[in-house]
Amino acid sequence: MKRIYSVILTAFMIFGLAACGSGNQQKNEEGFVPKLDKSTACKISIVGTYSNFEALEAEFDRFNEYYPNVEMSYTKIDEYNSAIETVLNGNDAPNIFFSFSWMIGNPAYDGVFDHMENLSDESLGLNLDCIRPGLISRDEKGRMLMVPVFSTSYGMLINNDLFAQEELKVPTNLQELYDVCASFKEKGYESPMMGYSKDSSGCLMNTVAYPVFAGTLQEHPEMVALANGCDPAAGEYMRTSLETLTQLIDKGCINLEKCAEISDNYTEVILRFYEGDVPMMICTGDTVSGTKKRESQSEAFTAHPFTYTFAPLPTTDKGGYFLDSPSVQFSVNSSCDNLDMTNEFMRFLISKTELNEMASIKRLITPTNDLSFDKVYAPVADTAPELIISPAELGIEDTLAVQIRLASFKVGTGEMTIDEAVAAYGSLE
Amino acid sequence: MKKTGIIIINILIMVAILTFVSVYTVFNDRFTRQRQIEHFENTTVTMERVTENYLEGEQRICDVWAHYINSREMTMEEASAFIRISHVLPNASAHLIYLDSKKGISTRSHLGTDDDYEISYEKIDFLSDTSWISDIGESINISRAYTNPMNGEQSLAFCNKIELYDPDGGAAKDAVLLRVLPISELEQKWIFPQEEFENAELTLIDADGDYIIKSKTFKNSNFYEFYKSYNASDPELVDGLRAEITTGTGSVSVLNSKGEKMLLAYTPVSETAGWILLSLIPESDLRINTENWLLIGVISAGLLVLFLMDLLFIQSFNKKLRVAAKAADAANRAKTDFLSTMSHDIRTPMNAIIGLTAIAQKNLDDTEATGENLRKIGLAGNHLLTLINDILDISKVESGKLTLSPVTFSVVEMVENLVNLSQPIVKEKNIDFNFRVNHMEKEYLYADQLRLNQIYINILSNAVKYTEPGGKVSVDMREEESPVSGCVRMIYTVSDTGIGMSPEFMKRLYQPFSRQTDSRVNSIQGTGLGLAITKQMVDLMGGEIDCRSEQGKGTTFTVVLDIPVSDRQIADMHLAPVDVLVVDDDEVLLQTTADTLKTLGAEAECAKSGAEAIEKIRKRRREGRDYGLVLLDWKMPDMNGIETIRRIRNDIDGDIPILIMSAYDRSEIEDEAKKAGANGFVSKPLFRSTLYEKINQLLGKEVTPVEPEDDYSDLKGVHVLVAEDNDINWEIIQATLDMFGITADRAENGRVCVDIIKNAEEGRYTLIFMDVQMPEMNGLDATRTIRKLENPWAAEIPIIAMTADAFSENVTECLNAGMDGHIAKPVDVKLVIKEIRKIKERKDKK
Repeated sequence: MKRIYSVILTAFMIFGLAACGSGNQQKNEEGFVPKLDKSTACKISIVGTYSNFEALEAEFDRFNEYYPNVEMSYTKIDEYNSAIETVLNGNDAPNIFFSFSWMIGNPAYDGVFDHMENLSDESLGLNLDCIRPGLISRDEKGRMLMVPVFSTSYGMLINNDLFAQEELKVPTNLQELYDVCASFKEKGYESPMMGYSKDSSGCLMNTVAYPVFAGTLQEHPEMVALANGCDPAAGEYMRTSLETLTQLIDKGCINLEKCAEISDNYTEVILRFYEGDVPMMICTGDTVSGTKKRESQSEAFTAHPFTYTFAPLPTTDKGGYFLDSPSVQFSVNSSCDNLDMTNEFMRFLISKTELNEMASIKRLITPTNDLSFDKVYAPVADTAPELIISPAELGIEDTLAVQIRLASFKVGTGEMTIDEAVAAYGSLE
Repeated sequence: MKKTGIIIINILIMVAILTFVSVYTVFNDRFTRQRQIEHFENTTVTMERVTENYLEGEQRICDVWAHYINSREMTMEEASAFIRISHVLPNASAHLIYLDSKKGISTRSHLGTDDDYEISYEKIDFLSDTSWISDIGESINISRAYTNPMNGEQSLAFCNKIELYDPDGGAAKDAVLLRVLPISELEQKWIFPQEEFENAELTLIDADGDYIIKSKTFKNSNFYEFYKSYNASDPELVDGLRAEITTGTGSVSVLNSKGEKMLLAYTPVSETAGWILLSLIPESDLRINTENWLLIGVISAGLLVLFLMDLLFIQSFNKKLRVAAKAADAANRAKTDFLSTMSHDIRTPMNAIIGLTAIAQKNLDDTEATGENLRKIGLAGNHLLTLINDILDISKVESGKLTLSPVTFSVVEMVENLVNLSQPIVKEKNIDFNFRVNHMEKEYLYADQLRLNQIYINILSNAVKYTEPGGKVSVDMREEESPVSGCVRMIYTVSDTGIGMSPEFMKRLYQPFSRQTDSRVNSIQGTGLGLAITKQMVDLMGGEIDCRSEQGKGTTFTVVLDIPVSDRQIADMHLAPVDVLVVDDDEVLLQTTADTLKTLGAEAECAKSGAEAIEKIRKRRREGRDYGLVLLDWKMPDMNGIETIRRIRNDIDGDIPILIMSAYDRSEIEDEAKKAGANGFVSKPLFRSTLYEKINQLLGKEVTPVEPEDDYSDLKGVHVLVAEDNDINWEIIQATLDMFGITADRAENGRVCVDIIKNAEEGRYTLIFMDVQMPEMNGLDATRTIRKLENPWAAEIPIIAMTADAFSENVTECLNAGMDGHIAKPVDVKLVIKEIRKIKERKDKK
């Protein structure tokens, strides 16, 4: 009898091992198929602004499964925005580098754009169809010089357990937002909504106002050019957004005094949210990317973990705008060493699987058309189509973004009235 | 011990061995691994020293520049010019930065320009607080890895605080001199030196864990972030690691980004502000003894095989033991049975001897009755002797000590002996006995005569013994060509019309101590050992024995032996032309005798009866061509040989030479044949030499009447010396010899014998009968001594062993000692007389 059991167990083991092997093979067959010699040995370097980029380094490991002799590295560049051109011209010129939408149209980066390879070249074989079209920007020649690897948006982190605890429903429009804030206030929450407020960069004011301003411009696209051109006439279109902001403050939804306790727009925002007494934390998707790693750093969260999601701020009667913006984009240095292998890596990376995997690790919004894969960002996927705004498609440029950021910060902090801010559009610094 | 116990002990031993090997392997593996780790740590320390030396060297250059600039009160331009002159490294540069504005100039222009030397460190954090830069020459002041704003390369900067002066002659301003080196250049020089650690990587981190030089396996921009990401996110564990690696040299096991176990060796870089050198290697590279598991596997398999083999061997051994035990039991039972039989069989003749002796003693006056009693005592004694001989033989066979002692012997004599031995019973039981030889070319062979005789006698005596009165026993002996070089194949077939054997008994025919259970057999004396001994001897001689028997009808034994031919053969025999009439009722004998005569050159005619012979003789007489010789069988139906002779002599020819043939004792018919007119007697079987000799004797000389066999007159005057320590034996031999007119002297032992011979006058003794086992000097030593005597007569005197050591090796031993013959005790008188006659004839010929 034991002999029979042994034979059966052995057969199962062999079958199991064979199944494991075949599964792996199946994965390879269905996924990325290498086109170059797998034994190729070379170095590929990527430079960017992130101090840590574990999500990308995980992709290195996955790529090494196909090309084990390709040594890949990621390096943070000091003063990236000013140094990138020098870096690209230097001895250690990278193969791939971060690029941003705000560089478009800025003459200071013409030298940088000169290094960019056209990633829409069909010979490269990049699967650009997996990326949401609203995130892709092309130059006047129709070239795609940067490909988004993450997207971001403006919204709020929601403590779902707290809502459940207080038996309140997560708001889906502006009125519900006011009401739920009032309810929280009544329950003793001094600032139902919080966020970073000490500096205009990454401040909650901009996070509230910018999507509303973009929504207004979407209704008046003829004004986008004026707004980009810092024409004071465009200032009037900021009014709605600034009024929404002030109402949230005036109604006590946002207690700026409490918000002022948050000392930076990233780690401190997250750790404050993890304290567990903030129903809604206003922030961008870039801030959300730091949540996963900081869960363990928060004693309060470790002691009392809760579920949370990220959703657009419901600043209209219909809901909140999902400003679908690229966060980090990759450009390939067309004059780098090992360009073939670099493009091979890009072909590997620009796929729904890899981009989702990377977004999952980084906890940023994936640029692919599959928004629902990450439960934290699942509410974003529920946004009504008419509330989704693509700044790239709309033509919004960085100058416009700077003006609404400064205006909202000044109005929010009381430095300016709404009228003054509207009037000062184009001249805010 | 029971089988289960042995199996459990075996398994326990196997488990113990495997446990020991496993534990030893694990400990050895750990020990080896520990040594590897220590070696790896030591190599890391060595690398730290190399690194430190390098950093110190670079810092010294920076120190020298700073010292020179400070001592000369230089402006920024002057300092820059000085450094440009001093600078020799193509990829290195120096930056001079005012601390207040964080701006300054570089010794190399901005990438892509020829005249842009301005540089700003405003947004590079490590100059916002310069407290980490110590005074010149005190320590290594090295920055974190950063992007060189002038060329975009990741670089390190060796720093010194300096003072620079305005060109206008203003006050000195605090500044920092940075000697900037690209990290790529360091990385190229920074290779792990040990070949066995080819997969090892080196990384340098600063006090915060930020990488200064980062190898490929290290991820993130900070080592502790890397550790948190792939190992432990618990801050306490991270702090624990930080505390561990910043306080000394050692190693720790970590996981890389792929989840693989790596060994991380760490050591602080002296003279730097908390820098740590990290070495990383896959732990699999340190496991050099993994093949030990193969060793364990092989040992396990080996032990298992041994265990199974042991098990099988034990089982097989037990099986053999059971079989052997059964066989031993059976043998014991057989021996017990045999002893019981022996006891009976020995007691029976002993009873007869003792009883008859008592009767004889009481009836000494009744000569006839006493004589009869003594005859029966003799018979019982002979049977007892046979019994003892057989027991001794079988004991030798069983102990494997039976050896062969080949000698040259005459087949004719051997056959004569066979016939003689069988005669008494043949006669007693009135058995029709025939002994035929066919194609016996070689009359002298080289073999153990004693054992060969024993084989033939055993078979023949059995046939005679188990054939009922009036039955028939036929012996056929023929010679064939042997496949063995130098040998002839002797085929000896004995057929009888006896009681035969049952098929069941045939199966254990050759087993010792087995006798057929048969009322008729039980009445026949026998030991049940004869055939067992015969079979063993035939096997020993490399021959074959075959038996075919049918109960109630008879038995046929056939023995086939390849026997070496002796060098000694009778010279070419050829008779003068003579017509011979051979008369016998046995057609086979007629044919073989006629063939033999033809080979001798005689013309032979055959007659199957006495009447036919008379008719043929008459016919020849009428034709005037009388036969030169008539060979006439004694025992024939209708008209026997004696009657036929009478008629020939009376009716035809009184002179025609007639030889009477018989397979029976000649003494019985000798007188009658002589009276009837026979000229001679020839014993069957008729060998070529026998015929040649007898015919020549008869035809070459005057016809002489047959001499009676009991004429011992030729022995008168023979004087022998008998070396015998036993008084009774001496008395017996002396009396026996005296009966034949032979006188004897006695020597009480070997030494006395030697002395007597040494001092005897030449020719005093015809021969010596020498006992072997005697006090002072045994017979063998005495013989050797005599053979070495100076007197030729004494040295060559015939010596015949007369001993109870009756085995063939004893015979060989005697012959090797220099004796001329061997007679076993109890002494057969006929053999004694035969030996004396042989020696006397030899002496007479001389």
